Amino acid sequence: MAKSVLIIEDEPFIIEALTFLLEREGLELSSYSDGEGCLDVISNIKPDLLILDMMLPNVSGMEILEKIRNSREFSALPVLMLTAKGQVRDREAAEDAGVNIFMTKPFANEEIISNVHKLLKN
Amino acid sequence: MSRSLIGTRIRERRRTRKVTQTALAAQVGISASYLNLIEHNRRGIAGKTLLSLAKALDLNPRDLTEGADLGLVNRVREASARNRTIPTELERLEEFIGRFPGFARLIERLFDQQQAQDQNLQALSDKVSNDPFFAEAIHLMLSNITTIRSTADILKNTTNIPEQIASKFLSNLLEESERLSQTASDILDHFEPSNPKLEHINEENTPETYLEKNKFFLEELENAEITPEQLAASIGLNNEDEQDLAIKAFEKYQTMAEALPISQFLKEAAKLRYNPLKLAEQFQTDLPTTLERLAHMPDEDHLPKFGILECDGSGSVLYRKQLPTLSLPKYSSACPLWPLYRSMSQPMQPICALFDMPTGERFLSYSIATFAEHGSFNMPGRLKATMLFTQDYQKILGKNTIASLPHLSVGLQCSVCPRNKCEARRSTYILG
Repeated sequence: MAKSVLIIEDEPFIIEALTFLLEREGLELSSYSDGEGCLDVISNIKPDLLILDMMLPNVSGMEILEKIRNSREFSALPVLMLTAKGQVRDREAAEDAGVNIFMTKPFANEEIISNVHKLLKN
Repeated sequence: MSRSLIGTRIRERRRTRKVTQTALAAQVGISASYLNLIEHNRRGIAGKTLLSLAKALDLNPRDLTEGADLGLVNRVREASARNRTIPTELERLEEFIGRFPGFARLIERLFDQQQAQDQNLQALSDKVSNDPFFAEAIHLMLSNITTIRSTADILKNTTNIPEQIASKFLSNLLEESERLSQTASDILDHFEPSNPKLEHINEENTPETYLEKNKFFLEELENAEITPEQLAASIGLNNEDEQDLAIKAFEKYQTMAEALPISQFLKEAAKLRYNPLKLAEQFQTDLPTTLERLAHMPDEDHLPKFGILECDGSGSVLYRKQLPTLSLPKYSSACPLWPLYRSMSQPMQPICALFDMPTGERFLSYSIATFAEHGSFNMPGRLKATMLFTQDYQKILGKNTIASLPHLSVGLQCSVCPRNKCEARRSTYILG
């Protein structure tokens, strides 16, 4: 059974590119473009991996990450966080909140594919 | 005509002629201690004493009264301090200003412009560091670039890509490139030097310079010959934002002139010895408006000369009227010991105090901090502090009152203040 990946990102073209790339790797892709209500989406889809943008409308990626880590059901969900804010303090804050991999935009396609496989393997 | 350097000139002339203070004082019929105060610019001098001293020193009285003022001396001194790589003959500064007042004014103007440009740079730096628009725009650009890079990579390196998907990605690429161009263009517009929000740096035409040119007394508003809007429109401002600011400034002046009509005010002020509390009570108005009125009287020799400084709760200067003997910083904060700042720790409590500058001038000050009217619930109060000051305090206070007032030793700004043991010092004295 194909592993599933949920992308929470508000840039539609990034979602399209990632979806194309990761489907070619044999993964099942879903996406959602708002911070609000995404826990319900996660609960419905039950993904094996979450690709999460840090800056989202309404609720930030950091707040979502904290909620995930504090939840009983998804606390172990692997999270790959994407952000245009590449400052050291942002990375540290994300690591403190329990991110698995932190990637800054722009990134290379091979890099994100490699990181997705790494997280799914674990 | 300023008389701020008269004392210094008398002292220099007396020393040149090798006359003692005691001998000169006896010659003109005043005490040596009084002459000492005059020579240190702590006492005003005019009339008979001025004529007698000029005669005793074999000078035309105009030689003593004409020329530079202490405010200009302080500004040129500060300009020198801020440009320490060029050694200047500070010990001959007063002589220089006396001989070349035009060049001195030019230095003052260039220094003001330098400070304005520093302010501009600081504003731009703040924009880059803290500007939410810039942060958002950079985030957007990086997202645009991510899409372009990822999509271009797919198109170049993927074999057997279905035509429909390739076409969609090409379309995405084009659209995202356009968004990137637009974002870059928006950033350029935001930092364009002609951005009207940055034009406040051009100070040729501002309400403050207009008031300064008119010696802080606007007959046309006093007599209601013109509206604040008409006046603002007539002074050649750069844009609508400046027009709005000018209208607000002139409306404030108009409110003051209506609450305290000048002819009636001058009569009462003379009777009440320019006491702002008594005047506020007499005219049933508030103290800050009365302080403003005292700073905006006709420029006539027999009237005491008042300066004024207003700041907000952060200490940023909102409005200022300088005196020739006290130049006030506009872009940086002044000495924290000024009664103006003290009043902010005791809102609504009027403070009357004398303060001494390191250069010897003494000023009487009246200060009060008040809150602006509440605009909405749960917002912190907007504090505004006002300080009125004058060197002509002997004209308006009796000796006993003067003796009973608190005397504060203050400076202008730390960088030009020699009071090295001051506990409030926050930066070094750069002239030392």
